Formats: sequence, structure tokens, C-alpha cells
Amino acid sequence: MRKRSHVSDEEAEVNMTPMLDIVFIMLIFFIVTATFIQESGLDVSRPDPNQEQEKNDSKVRPVLIQLTDDNKVFLDRREVDVRSVRANVEKRRAENPKTPVIIQAGRESEVGLLVSVMDQSQQAGAAISIAPLVGQPGR
Amino acid sequence: MKQRSKTQEEDVEINMTPMLDIVFIMLIFFIVTAVFVKEAGVEVNKPEAVMSQKVKQVSTLIAITEDDKIWINKNEVELRDVRAIVEQLRKENPKGKVVIQGDAESKSGIMVDIMDQLSQAGVTGVAISALEDN
Repeated sequence: MRKRSHVSDEEAEVNMTPMLDIVFIMLIFFIVTATFIQESGLDVSRPDPNQEQEKNDSKVRPVLIQLTDDNKVFLDRREVDVRSVRANVEKRRAENPKTPVIIQAGRESEVGLLVSVMDQSQQAGAAISIAPLVGQPGR
Repeated sequence: MKQRSKTQEEDVEINMTPMLDIVFIMLIFFIVTAVFVKEAGVEVNKPEAVMSQKVKQVSTLIAITEDDKIWINKNEVELRDVRAIVEQLRKENPKGKVVIQGDAESKSGIMVDIMDQLSQAGVTGVAISALEDN
């Protein structure tokens, strides 16, 4: 009688080893596939077509920055140095703090220049819209 | 002598329950945090920006190489296919953001075209990749 009870006790314990194997393999799979990508960048808010209409109606005159195909920067149709973009945008925004920035990038202008201009505009605190450049800047 | 040998054998068996608990918790953590990011598949020379900040919940990366080729999900793609591919990739994770990794020497025109295609695809969270410049 005693012997029988002992056997039944041992049978009650489930063998966990195969489950543990599977769980470990799943764990390793998820650790390996987990790609903790640390991607840093500048947020871009594309203008909403309806919002753009409102902007045109209001009296706020946006800062227009044009990037030419040969990587020159025109701010309000006047050629400026890349490094002075921030100061210029800040000056315009001191007059009206709601002034947004519109960047018109020429097709052949470099992304590095575009990012630099965006960076400086964001440092000045402006909302940015990006559009393609049509025609010639300046004049 | 026989009794002693039996005791030793029982001692050898380790109690696995606490380890199993920890392993399960780690497993659940990794399943929950896994957000299979679609990497572009090419390395680009990113521009630097002071205002650059960490983008959360990245789901898709689009790369523009120095010679103005577009890479998505480890494949080179044509500009006109970008919209369809992004729409398809975003089905799994519709809230994830799209990051455009433009090479500093690539052309802005392509980036503007891609951003146009993304807005047509209904993507609201778009960021331009840039290294943090301190």
C-alpha cells in the first residue's frame, strides 16, 4: 500500500524539461530579432492642403527660404549665407512669433543643405513646410 | 548506505520553478517590445543637425543613397513604387513612423518626391534622419 502511494506522488510531478527547452528557444529568438534601432532625426510636418489655404488668408507672411540647384540659399528672395539662416528667421519671428518657414528645395540641391536649413529654422522655433522649388529664386 | 545514496540523488535535482518564472517574464517582455523594424538595407552618410532627436516607434526606414537610389526593406525600388510598398509595409504597424535616411549628398528633389508619396499613402509621422550634433 505504501509503495503504491509513493508511485502516485511521483507521477503528479510534470516533466517541465521540454517546455523549458521551447521557452528558451523562443526567448533566444526574440532577443536576436529585437532590433533596438536608435534612429534620430528631424520631424517634418507636411502642410495640410486645407491648412495652407488658411495660412494664405491670414496676414502672417511666412519666411520663404529657397535652395537653388547649385546649393545657394535665398531667404525672402535675397541670397544669404547658410549659417545666417537662424539669425534671419529669428529676426523675422521677433516681429511676429507665428511666422512659419516655407522651404522650397530645388531638385538638384543637396539633402545636407536642406537638413541644415531645417535644423536652423527649428532652432529658431519655426514651423516648417517643405515644397519643391518652381522656377528661379530671387528677383 | 543505501538510504544515504538516495538522499544525495534527491539533492541533485534543482528546483527550476523560479528560473522558469524569470524566463517567462523575459519572454513576454521581448514579445511585447518586438516591433520588427523594416530596415532600409544600406548605410548612408547622414547629415548632422543640432535639433535632431530620437524618433520613437519607427516602423519603416527609407534610404536615399549618394547616387540617388531609393532603398526600402533591403530592396532597391523605383520612386513610383514607394507609395504601394510603404502602404503594404505599414499594414502590420499602422501607427509607426517613417524615417527617410537621406545621404547628405543626395538630391532634395527625390526626398520631396518621397515625402509626397508618403502623404499620398496617408503617412502622417515622417522624419528626416540626422545625426545628433553636439
